[in-house]
Amino acid sequence: MLRPFELRRPATLPELGAILGEHRDAAALYAGGSELLVLMKEGLVRPRVLIDVKRVAGLGEIAAADGTLRIGAAVTHRTVERSPVVHAHCPLVAEAARFVANVRVRSVGTVGGNLAFADPHSDLATLYLLFDARVALWSGAGGERELPLADFVRGPYETARRDDEVLTEVRLHPLPPGAAGAYLKFGVHERPTLGVAAALSLDPARRRVAAARLAVGCIGARPQRLAGLERGLVGAPVEALAAARVDAGAEGLDAITDLHGSADYKLEMAQVFVRRALRLAAARGMRQDIDARYAHTVAV
Amino acid sequence: MRLARELVIDARPEALWALLWDVPRMAACVPGCSEAQEVTAHRTYRARLAQKVGPISLSVPVTVEVTAAAPPRHLALTASGRDPVVGAEIAMELTLDCEAVATGTRLRIGAEGHVLGKLGALGHAVVQRRAEETLDEFGRRLARAIGS
Amino acid sequence: MPATPTPSPSSLSIRVNGRRVDLEVPTHALLLDVLRDRLDLKGAKRSCDMQVCGACTVLVDGAPVSACTYLAVEADGRDVVTVEGLGGPEALHPLQEAFVDHGAVQCGFCTSGMLLSAKALLDERAAPSEAEIVHHLRGNLCRCTGYRKIVDAILACAGGSGSAA
Repeated sequence: MLRPFELRRPATLPELGAILGEHRDAAALYAGGSELLVLMKEGLVRPRVLIDVKRVAGLGEIAAADGTLRIGAAVTHRTVERSPVVHAHCPLVAEAARFVANVRVRSVGTVGGNLAFADPHSDLATLYLLFDARVALWSGAGGERELPLADFVRGPYETARRDDEVLTEVRLHPLPPGAAGAYLKFGVHERPTLGVAAALSLDPARRRVAAARLAVGCIGARPQRLAGLERGLVGAPVEALAAARVDAGAEGLDAITDLHGSADYKLEMAQVFVRRALRLAAARGMRQDIDARYAHTVAV
Repeated sequence: MRLARELVIDARPEALWALLWDVPRMAACVPGCSEAQEVTAHRTYRARLAQKVGPISLSVPVTVEVTAAAPPRHLALTASGRDPVVGAEIAMELTLDCEAVATGTRLRIGAEGHVLGKLGALGHAVVQRRAEETLDEFGRRLARAIGS
Repeated sequence: MPATPTPSPSSLSIRVNGRRVDLEVPTHALLLDVLRDRLDLKGAKRSCDMQVCGACTVLVDGAPVSACTYLAVEADGRDVVTVEGLGGPEALHPLQEAFVDHGAVQCGFCTSGMLLSAKALLDERAAPSEAEIVHHLRGNLCRCTGYRKIVDAILACAGGSGSAA
């Protein structure tokens, strides 16, 4: 049984902004409720007001224009999975949406809810870094501001959202033409222990790396790109990817010991899965089929 | 959970001790700590500790007891309390050691204890991280308060 | 201390298993409790209470949801299907027949969730592969059968009459 609350269903952003501005953190933004309702059942959060974002004009849209894919905060994972627009512009995002949580969560859980809750084991927070994602935040007082996803997610369950702001959409930049990507998530628990996303652009002969993007998440306080390795891989022959090494210290890559495993174990697995993700992205870039079946791993 | 911090404060140990021994004033340097009041001078105090850990807000009425005091070098306290709303229990031992150095006082802060209850659903790492941030800010505020 | 809001009831109109039902429920009521306690539909179970196990699976407008973590008010104006709506003792749904024939039921606790998840899959895709079935059932846990017979039962329906309404 939940504790009683008032449910408000604004139809426009200004209406939503007014309610949020009035109640601040006594109100909770509510879309799918997949995380919120569970916390409420546990009594860990006790909002007096739930603000349903699902009827606000514009938050449920997907659109692509001017080289940007925009996904509204209230779009469900199920919708992303099936969206021809997402498939056309960021196919990896649509394919990975198929593997978020389980089919029931995908029916109601939203992109905005996932990012705003900032679960340290989120798939989206890691994967979207590959696309130089930015989030749009809106408040009645300040209007819209936009910030990089890397700055929005500050730590476990902690974001840069102020308590009078609502996340309205996430903006992704498709990979460069010809780039091939892969997302691997590893773990035996309900949420992944490790997520690695990789994208490679190969040279015209498809023998060397022209550009690389790598994101690692779930193991530390927040996901991150591996900027050092990305630079180091430029010009590398494809054969060298199998031996790619992550310099955790140089990358500022941290892992946290918890029920998913020790910090050392997670860093070791990061090494393994970065190589696997690079290998898979390279194979796709060379239009080769390889066996990417690994224990307890979803390979997207 | 065990944490330690060390910082050098631009003041002599006696000056720092004067701040620490004024327990309500020292407690005000703990982020989220308010309503600090004396029950028995230099023995027992009460305060309220408010923190937000992710989406979860805590408000814990704590009892603070001085367990050891050796001016101006060493102060040990315990703080314990329970947030009945969230069901979070806090029990911490805090040690503060002052050592004279050329530029002032080296203050070593030690904190050991636990946070129990449903808050654990967020994972120990989240709680530890918040505790570390709190301790860091405590050190910074002590250094600022010394000036005033 | 802020005032506790006075619970204000909501009027709902839901099509449950094809029949229209009009109810007044508290705004904070969960769909699972409304189905079980107000409508006496006990097929959906409260088990993990956090969307992990699937024992509470029901279909809302054809999509599987966790009734334990779904506000009843969200079902207003929608179609809800529970296991009771699949078929009954007089006329089992082909999926139910297949579960019986393949020995895919032991304690039965996961069964209603399995059946409804399977129905949602077959309604969307008449001939799923085994890999697709396994993927789709990933959020439905069974402690008894080891899943093999459940998958076999659904495979048997796939491409056949499993998606019959």
